[in-house]
Amino acid sequence: MLLIRSERLRRTLQFVLPFAVMPAVLLLPKETMGQYYAFISFVMVLCALLLFLAGFDRRELGTRRMILVSVMTALSVVGRLLPVIKPITALTVLSALYLGKEAGFLVGALSAVLSNFIMGHGPWTPFQMLAWGLIGLFAGILSKPLLRSRLLLYGYGLLSGAAYSLLLDVWTTVWTYGEFTLDAYAAAISTALPYTILYAVSNVLFLALFAKPIGDKLHRIEVKYGL
Amino acid sequence: MRSFETMNPAAVSVQLLLAACITLFCLEPSLLLISLLCGLSYFVLRNGGGSRGFHLAALGIPALFAVLNPLWNQHGVTVLFFLNDRAYTLEALCYGAVTGVRLAAVLYWFRNFSDLMTSEKLFYLFRFLSPKLALIFTVALRNITLFRVQMHKIQETQRAAGLYREGHLIDDLRGGLRVFSILLTWALENGIITASSMSARGYGSGRRTSCTFYRWTRGDVILLLLSLALSAASLVPIAYGALKREYYPVSVPPHYGAGYFLAVGAYTALALLPLIYAGKEALTWHSLRSEI
Repeated sequence: MLLIRSERLRRTLQFVLPFAVMPAVLLLPKETMGQYYAFISFVMVLCALLLFLAGFDRRELGTRRMILVSVMTALSVVGRLLPVIKPITALTVLSALYLGKEAGFLVGALSAVLSNFIMGHGPWTPFQMLAWGLIGLFAGILSKPLLRSRLLLYGYGLLSGAAYSLLLDVWTTVWTYGEFTLDAYAAAISTALPYTILYAVSNVLFLALFAKPIGDKLHRIEVKYGL
Repeated sequence: MRSFETMNPAAVSVQLLLAACITLFCLEPSLLLISLLCGLSYFVLRNGGGSRGFHLAALGIPALFAVLNPLWNQHGVTVLFFLNDRAYTLEALCYGAVTGVRLAAVLYWFRNFSDLMTSEKLFYLFRFLSPKLALIFTVALRNITLFRVQMHKIQETQRAAGLYREGHLIDDLRGGLRVFSILLTWALENGIITASSMSARGYGSGRRTSCTFYRWTRGDVILLLLSLALSAASLVPIAYGALKREYYPVSVPPHYGAGYFLAVGAYTALALLPLIYAGKEALTWHSLRSEI
């Protein structure tokens, strides 16, 4: 990916592969891939992740922004260790809003890897990285309206909690049954429903708690040091 | 011969990931059981009798999957009984058990992977992907410990200032948020200082040089080549369908020919590699070669 010189081609591939090719592969009839289904989906997600990471690396983040990304990553990992507070999504969204979409993706994806050093790695790590990374990426892309309206921000929190759960349920289905069928997916979604609601509600709660104080602090840093 | 965990991280991770990935590639009970046994015994060898919770979770999975799979899967001809007018078939039960064993085996291999590949070793591998990412990764790692120490300091100060009541939920929550807020302010300023300091020392101003922690020795190369060769010997027959077992509607075993034994044998050797390295007193290179 780093070898592709043309910026536009790289950017197109970066978005087309995860959003068009991957779902298409997931929806292919099972017979075409047979027993390799789980493996192929795992590799696809890993590739999508690498593509994103490699694509972002080329852009100039700047030393300060880079260090701030690692600061926010470390904070969300440390926050995951505090008793009640689970702020990864909130911190990812907020860093995306103030530091840009690349920063959002990196904070989300890296928080997932690093906190899994404590919580335990597994085949789900790439899925978590991708899910949290995408939450950050889209928050960064939508930063203008999200910064303007608090209500939209809460809506985004709600939606991202649901989306995170739905994406990880794809993993559960594929790994449990070795194939992706809508029946099994529906079953997985319905068993995970309490968690989905918990995620969504706690996202909104933490965004409501954090948006003002953390947003102000990030904004202050942005203004003070001219990022 | 060095022990397995001190070998070059690239070679070690290739071995572990190939062992896990080939497990994912097939649904043949014999290969899956070998994989599970090897992954499990290496884990026990490294960790002793502890981590009972992990064993319970990982080994409970096959049973759970076996029982649950027939509830969703209606294929298969041997009906055991009916549940809510839905057939509960023997074939679906078997299929569930096999996928369960597969997941348990993969869990053990990944657990071994995350035990062996410490963050420093992962950094060494990440470096090839992108130096900038690796830098963010290491700074974040360093920051985690730094912030934990700083958080502890802030907490102590807050407590000394009399801002906590012991065992009060609301106070704990508010205190936690206040500590986090103080930590955030400090962390952001500290990060900016770090960045300025890096720029002042010339970060990003010239050609980048790098420091290597691990070297490639002959042993590492041998491990890498051996892992690749064994995986290829196992994957080629698998790709030609040597392990293709039909589960639905009735169980049809694969043809037990040369391809079958080559695939299973090569995989067994691959999965045994960490154990062989661990038991170097008993097994020498020579016996490893003769076993293949």
